[in-house]
Amino acid sequence: MRADAVRGHLDGLLLAVLEQGPLHGYAIIAAVQQRSGGVLDLRTGTIYPALNRLERLGLLTSSWDAVGERRRRCYALTDAGRSSLAGERAAWREFTTAIGSVLNPGVQPRPAT
Amino acid sequence: MNASRRAGDPIEEYVAELTGVLHGPSRTKARMIEEMRDGLADTAAAYREDGLPHDHAVRRAVEEFGTPEELAPACQRELTVAQARHTARTVVLTAPFLVACWYLLLPAGSGVEPLGPRTVQLLAVHLAGVAGVAALFAAAALAATGGLARRLPLPHRLPLAVAWAGTTASVAMALATLALAVASLMAADWPLVALAGALAAASHALTAPSARAGRRCALLLTPQPVATRVGG
Repeated sequence: MRADAVRGHLDGLLLAVLEQGPLHGYAIIAAVQQRSGGVLDLRTGTIYPALNRLERLGLLTSSWDAVGERRRRCYALTDAGRSSLAGERAAWREFTTAIGSVLNPGVQPRPAT
Repeated sequence: MNASRRAGDPIEEYVAELTGVLHGPSRTKARMIEEMRDGLADTAAAYREDGLPHDHAVRRAVEEFGTPEELAPACQRELTVAQARHTARTVVLTAPFLVACWYLLLPAGSGVEPLGPRTVQLLAVHLAGVAGVAALFAAAALAATGGLARRLPLPHRLPLAVAWAGTTASVAMALATLALAVASLMAADWPLVALAGALAAASHALTAPSARAGRRCALLLTPQPVATRVGG
């Protein structure tokens, strides 16, 4: 998938991979690529300013932690980050349902619960 | 020196290029650059573990990272906002010194014996008013660039507005320093007035460089693509 198509969903991807626990920059990139089966073509450097912004917005916290023999900046979701992730998921479901309804007019979307 | 930081290393060349084009608070910038250096080194290490030769692994890590031209706008945007927040915090913390000067040089008719001549009293009132307005604006900017930005889009010109608010406050502080220095020569309780002048001078010394850096960073800001934004 092209990088510019991924870019609009970067915040949601970063929040989602941090849902299971704190990770440092490279581990976040590896988790995104591993979860997507290597399909998502992400300029790996773009995650660093994005992580900075999510931390400024209060969706993430960060701290320097020892990872192996080296010190790494590790990021963790805040409560506000979990709420934002839930919102991202709801928006994504709504988006895919709407696009699916147009692309596959014969298939009736399930009513929202 | 760490082997990965030797001259001629593509990672160090990349980091040096990015460092050269970015401007912002030194700690924030250093942290961002350090994280990116670590990310490049980790990616190269992962490719080496997969069996790639060192040079090939490093080159591939740098290629996948994105060019400095591609990454600089997003990095600069964060550094510009960080600089605006730094300036806003400085104004919020130092402006109360000018309000303290206002109390010190209370105008005639307030029922309190004034410490300085009437001209200086009026000037102090106006300068305190300017600093107070700048401090209120700076406090609002701190909220707008922090948690509030999750719900409201960040105005593109806000960092420049904060920088000019800081500049205005720093000019007010410089004038207050001058006025209080003059007043201290005429006031009966001159040590107290001189102390207020010293506080105003210290406030100016903290605010002016931050506001100047904020103006520089704001001019480097490029409009943020709508597709990349969630609240910031």
